[in-house]
Amino acid sequence: MTPKNALRYAYYPGCSLHASAGEYDLSTRELFKKLNIGLTEVPDWFCCGATPAHNVDELLSLSLCAKNLELAEQVEGDLAVACAACFSRLKTTQHILSESEFKRQQVEKAIDAPVPLNGNVKHLLDILARDLGLKRLGQAVTKPLSGLKVACYYGCLLTRPTDVPNLDCVEAPTIMEDVLQAVGAETVAWSHRLECCGANFTLSRPGVVVQLSHAILDSAKAAGADCIMVACPLCHGNLDIRQKEIEGVYGTHYAMPVFYITQLVGLAAGLKADKLGLDALIVNPMPLLKEKQLI
Amino acid sequence: MSRIGVFVCHCGENISRTVDVERVAAEVGKLPGVAFSTDYKYMCSDPGQGLLKKAIREERLSHVVVAACSPRMHEKTFRKAVESAGLNPFLCEMANIREHCSWVHEDRDEATVKAIEIVGMMVERVKKNRVLPTITVPVTKRSLVIGGGIAGIQAALDIADAGHEVVLVEREPSIGGHMAQLSETFPTLDCSQCIMTPKMVDVANHPRIKLYTYAEIEHVEGYIGNFQVTVRRKARSVIEEKCTGCGVCMEKCPVRKIPNTFDRDLGMRPAIYVPFPQAVPNTPVIDRENCTKFKTGKCGVCQKVCGPGAVDYEQEDRLIVEPVGAIVVATGFDLYSIEEKPKGSSIKGYGEFGHGRIPDVIDGMTFERLASASGPTGGKIMRPSDGREPKQIVFIQCVGSRAREKGISYCSKICCMYTAKHTMLYHHKVHDGQAYVFFMDARTPGKSYDEFWRRSIEEEEAVYIRGMVSRLYQKGDKIVVMGSDISVGVQVEIEADMVVLATAVQPRKGADTLAQKLGISYDKYHFYSEAHAKLRPVECATAGIYLAGACQGPKDIPDTVSQASAAAAKVMTLFARDQLEREPIVARVRETGCVGCFYCKKVCPYGAVEEKEIRDRQGNLVKVVAYVNPGVCGGCGTCQATCPSKSVELDGYTDEQIVAMIESL
Repeated sequence: MTPKNALRYAYYPGCSLHASAGEYDLSTRELFKKLNIGLTEVPDWFCCGATPAHNVDELLSLSLCAKNLELAEQVEGDLAVACAACFSRLKTTQHILSESEFKRQQVEKAIDAPVPLNGNVKHLLDILARDLGLKRLGQAVTKPLSGLKVACYYGCLLTRPTDVPNLDCVEAPTIMEDVLQAVGAETVAWSHRLECCGANFTLSRPGVVVQLSHAILDSAKAAGADCIMVACPLCHGNLDIRQKEIEGVYGTHYAMPVFYITQLVGLAAGLKADKLGLDALIVNPMPLLKEKQLI
Repeated sequence: MSRIGVFVCHCGENISRTVDVERVAAEVGKLPGVAFSTDYKYMCSDPGQGLLKKAIREERLSHVVVAACSPRMHEKTFRKAVESAGLNPFLCEMANIREHCSWVHEDRDEATVKAIEIVGMMVERVKKNRVLPTITVPVTKRSLVIGGGIAGIQAALDIADAGHEVVLVEREPSIGGHMAQLSETFPTLDCSQCIMTPKMVDVANHPRIKLYTYAEIEHVEGYIGNFQVTVRRKARSVIEEKCTGCGVCMEKCPVRKIPNTFDRDLGMRPAIYVPFPQAVPNTPVIDRENCTKFKTGKCGVCQKVCGPGAVDYEQEDRLIVEPVGAIVVATGFDLYSIEEKPKGSSIKGYGEFGHGRIPDVIDGMTFERLASASGPTGGKIMRPSDGREPKQIVFIQCVGSRAREKGISYCSKICCMYTAKHTMLYHHKVHDGQAYVFFMDARTPGKSYDEFWRRSIEEEEAVYIRGMVSRLYQKGDKIVVMGSDISVGVQVEIEADMVVLATAVQPRKGADTLAQKLGISYDKYHFYSEAHAKLRPVECATAGIYLAGACQGPKDIPDTVSQASAAAAKVMTLFARDQLEREPIVARVRETGCVGCFYCKKVCPYGAVEEKEIRDRQGNLVKVVAYVNPGVCGGCGTCQATCPSKSVELDGYTDEQIVAMIESL
């Protein structure tokens, strides 16, 4: 039984979290349970359209997001989103439809329902940093991540597009660093925290991804980071799953674990490795976590 | 009985295309009081005005209504014509059947009916018009110039040379402004100090210029021809009359490590200082925040070593009231500080460029000080971090300017040219160095400007890359510049030793506060607004106040000097007459009805309402009523709308007139 004034959200996991990023989904649910934040999955949610839809057909892309926003209305609370791309698409849809009456009418015809434009769409980071608050987050920490040097990686979509009211400053955001410092970790200042990892070129032109993700891993290493933290399943795929390949191409050795935000915060909140899906990571984080005495 | 003449204009086809002007003239001719009505193709033309004058004389007209364009366009024209025919000009009104009717309607019948009604309203209104005498006010032939940069200096010298006294007020301890900080100037590369300092000396020596440095405008009262300006002379702690400028105090001051803002914090200065050696006046000032004497009470070295005994720790701010007839505002600009998002501003910072975090990322003005022969490095280009000469230097234009997503959408106008100049200065001093420039467009309109820019590329070997930079970061002792070259569509990375940012020109900090003191308007960026963008570019909408230089919008030196001389010419035009004529559209108080609540005083934006005592013959106070100073009143009518006892009315816009208009419908 949750208290009356507790935080409560509708939860939109997005496709990745039900597939390749299962550990992100698991750690999110476990962390929120631990923090007494209610999370109810939106019934019958489906794909936001991601990058392909809006490249092919704007109406389709807007309608997919609009329908999901409409479905989310059934659940009490703001809409919590884990994936950076889903977050960006849902926010962008709200923005475009509130700016253009014409497009809104088109979309409403397509989905045969009114689009809720005023509902809040919130990324998990926003919920942790602002709704729960850094202070309360700090109080929930049982095992501070002291000594762990983390390179916070934002990627492209958490703060973009620029004209959509978004999570944090487009060019110099701090929200990830704020959250991690609140749970006792040390964040490094580094150059590539906002550069693109290559995103979904990972399927069509993997060479591009290897090159771009290499630059990111390289500069995180140069800045003295032990690991990288992300909030996007695609970034995670490129930096974690492709890390071995990148090492092969460039003849380097990083062994740089790539965590989801909820995994690191979950660790600090005292959750065990099996509740955080740490075994699903390709670059094994255990040696690092043992060395820092975090597990 | 009125004998009103109505003159309906075709305005070529502008009105007659949609409005049946002949029918309008015929219909309003039937209205009671109208003695004459006609239409004509161009009423404002010479024959049109002739027709009007002839009708006034021959038909013995008592009032005139011209049905034509907006009064903003031609009210003055027709009132003048009416006056020359012997009528009081304020017995002429305009009915706007162009902007308010023909231009906005399509149906000819409906538009004609509406035009007849508009003219009918004005006919009823003009019947209630009173003869209004023109107001004359005396002119104090002294001028105030605010700001001692090149704009203020030029305006002050021009006005003073014309024989009028000038009070020049400068906030900093010396005049000279930004131009004194520059190394060399485009497009001729002449040394800024060499052309600037003689003018500064001229100001100091001019018998008709009263110079207040280290002073600010405290308060402004009055109106055109009759301002009372209170100037705060900040405590300098050095008595200007006694100081000889020998400089011993500065040599002996034990506090030496204060960053010199004039040198963009590259050099150091003592606590008692002049901002730069050529300062005018050459009188030091004590920086009380950093002075040991003021911080702890111990020290007092400067006072001991000062021969003439000019150092005065007890000195306090002084307030001086100066009567002036005109004000030239020349407060200049600041460069956009890009490190952080400025507090309470809608303008975002440039965290991604690392300015303030990476020591060798500097702004354009800092580069000027590095390149200046009188600068902290003696004109040698060196990195602030380690003093090494940069061999690869990157210039980034449009930092803050033309960046809507950062909050500034305007072009700062000077950066394309000064960046071209910087590449040249760099090439002259570092022969084996390479300069790169990231730019969006090269904007070089101006005499010899484009040639100058081409020279930087063709002769001085600067590499121009069309595209913007996304990010700068430190890698070892290099700065990696990540940008794009959009002309070939590739990403570019340059490992630079130094990066120079051409940051946006912004109005001076506090420009809004000064504008509120002066009662002048400003735009959303706080640049001061001119009365008309094209036809009145140096005047404010507030009479008697003129603009010069970058406080009105980004400007280079030639434009600034031109505008300053233009502002001076406007002041001289004002001073050419002993009496000033003003339109008598002012508020009048009906003293019998006034209950002295002074709501009008509270709402008056011009500060025109005064308190007036009414006394009986024995001198006993009967009551205190409001009095509107006709010299100050701007004729906005706010008092009329506010007055609970209906005791104040705006001449030309009385309730009686407005009600007559409504009732005619």
